[in-house]
Amino acid sequence: MANEKSDNQIEKLMDAPLEFVKDGNQFLNKCKKPDLKEYTRIVRAVGIGFVAVGIIGYAIKLIHIPIRYVIV
Amino acid sequence: MSTATPPGGQRTLQKRRQAQSAKDRQAKQTPTSTRSAGFGGSSSSILKICTDEANGIRFDPLIAMFLTFGFITCIMAIHFMNKVTGATF
Amino acid sequence: MAGFRLIDVAKPFLPLLPEVELPFETLPFDEKIVYTIFAGIIYLFAEFPLVGVSKDIQSFPINDPIYFLRGVFAATPRTLLEFGLFPIISSGLILQLLAGLKYIKVNFKIQQDRELFQTLTKLFALFQYFVLANIFIFSGYYGNNLTIVQILVLNAQLIGSGLCTIILSEVIDKGYGFISGAMIINTIVISTNFVADTIGITQIKIDDADNTEAQGALINLIQGFRSKNKTIVGGIISAFNRDYLPNLTTTFIVIIIAAIICYLQSCRVELAIRSTRARGMNNVYPIRLLSIGCLGLLFSYVNLFYIHIAAFILIQLVANNDPSSIICKILGHYENVNNILAVPTFPLSLLTPPRSLIGGLFSQPLTFIVFTLFIVSTSVWFAKKWQAISGSSARDVAVEFKDQGITLSGRREQNISKELDKVIPVASSTGAAILAVLAACGELLGLKGKAAGIIVGVAGGFSLLELITLDYQQTGGNSNLRAVLGTPSTSATQF
Repeated sequence: MANEKSDNQIEKLMDAPLEFVKDGNQFLNKCKKPDLKEYTRIVRAVGIGFVAVGIIGYAIKLIHIPIRYVIV
Repeated sequence: MSTATPPGGQRTLQKRRQAQSAKDRQAKQTPTSTRSAGFGGSSSSILKICTDEANGIRFDPLIAMFLTFGFITCIMAIHFMNKVTGATF
Repeated sequence: MAGFRLIDVAKPFLPLLPEVELPFETLPFDEKIVYTIFAGIIYLFAEFPLVGVSKDIQSFPINDPIYFLRGVFAATPRTLLEFGLFPIISSGLILQLLAGLKYIKVNFKIQQDRELFQTLTKLFALFQYFVLANIFIFSGYYGNNLTIVQILVLNAQLIGSGLCTIILSEVIDKGYGFISGAMIINTIVISTNFVADTIGITQIKIDDADNTEAQGALINLIQGFRSKNKTIVGGIISAFNRDYLPNLTTTFIVIIIAAIICYLQSCRVELAIRSTRARGMNNVYPIRLLSIGCLGLLFSYVNLFYIHIAAFILIQLVANNDPSSIICKILGHYENVNNILAVPTFPLSLLTPPRSLIGGLFSQPLTFIVFTLFIVSTSVWFAKKWQAISGSSARDVAVEFKDQGITLSGRREQNISKELDKVIPVASSTGAAILAVLAACGELLGLKGKAAGIIVGVAGGFSLLELITLDYQQTGGNSNLRAVLGTPSTSATQF
């Protein structure tokens, strides 16, 4: 009896990831994927934003270098 | 069994009890986050910590930012002093 | 201890902690930008060497045990930002998770409880800065035989900079900047690091003969053509596979990962909705694949950080990194690589991504399984819990629908919650799993934290960008940043 129960639990434990993968797959199939035009637009927007912020940040770091040389 | 069916309510006692307990559960439930209580805060993809103004030592944001900047300048000054005097501590 | 609540711990500290005032009214869009950028700049400026430690890198007896976690939390070793944003992010995530799962009793409807909870979060973050600083100081990370003055000065610096970081992120959180301080600062730092790694022109000394190479991979390639100490071919090869500084291969992988996230970000399931008030008002409600964004991965990395810090305490502080002691036999010990990194050996190395793919395949094949499993399982677990508690669960969305007079087409109004419950949890956990797998793949290719970093940066940036564009549409009438922000990505704000 107990054995059977633990078997069940193991089965349940094994089932959980399988179920998860199945659900996930189903969801992905239902997903509306972006078309090329939308995708390039997003990539461009993100790329410009990311690099712009990064360059501002890097400019600050550049100011940092001489200060470090003078002070440290 | 003795109570009469309220108008518009569920017919059978069991269903009525179920409806009642569901209502109770909802009333008892406290919100699980600041957002679900309706005061902003973390959403599903955003982690937000500060939503309310607690009674601490209050700062204007500008002063707060100057203070943090001042802290960094302090560290720089100590560095500079270290370099000038040659002392390491 | 009936009636004891964890948030009451924060009560005595309530009057002591600094607190930024809430703005009287919502700030104009441009002012928010200024505040946000300045907060980011000040944070970047704090990347300054610590006072009181030796300046010569070679002389440090203990190397960096958490080098592969730094990219995610905007931390830089041996500077004021030694721990970066980690304490803030971890205390925010963990306390909110515990409160949501009712392990901490907080009634978010009461203002005082919210204030206490917020103070507790800050206090816990500060406490973590304190503990981490002292772990690192007493492990000998900043040098052996520190004097008491040195210890005090180091403590003051590390905790002080922690407090500064908390205040900076609070300024943004409180509505002077955009949305969330910790996340936006993290994104700014990650993008800065990306730019520095790609086109950074800083010259860094690479050997004793005073040869220097540029930090940026692309700049290094260009310099390779006219370098005196290398042939052209050698320069090109080294630009792709040098391992002491960023190389072009890692840069490419990072860009590919970023592109994949951009694709995933626009994957969504669209549910048809209609208005209950007006006839013929049909629309779609998108449920995004990455609906919990980067938080699942952040949570995994918070866990990794705790595990590695705990191991560091045991191995370095207790067992003194002595391979013959019993703790090191159980947990493994640290090996010094390149004089900068402390790389753990077997059991602990299971949770440490390898430094290169090939080397990793031979020396630690089990890591590939264990590390991936760990990241995926923690991410998915977190995603499931977080979507339920964070105020965007199926029930919350159903309530929102009801308030706005919307219903799913072809469904009864009472069933909205159930219908959504079939989609939203699956979406968030699938999204979290995919991001985790992506991060694990990148990390196992030997990116030393850059893969997870770029995922947190881009996915977090997306979540922020969406809300920022919303803000822009509402208040930024005459702002001149239209070109930078670009067009709004699809969001749930169409109605």
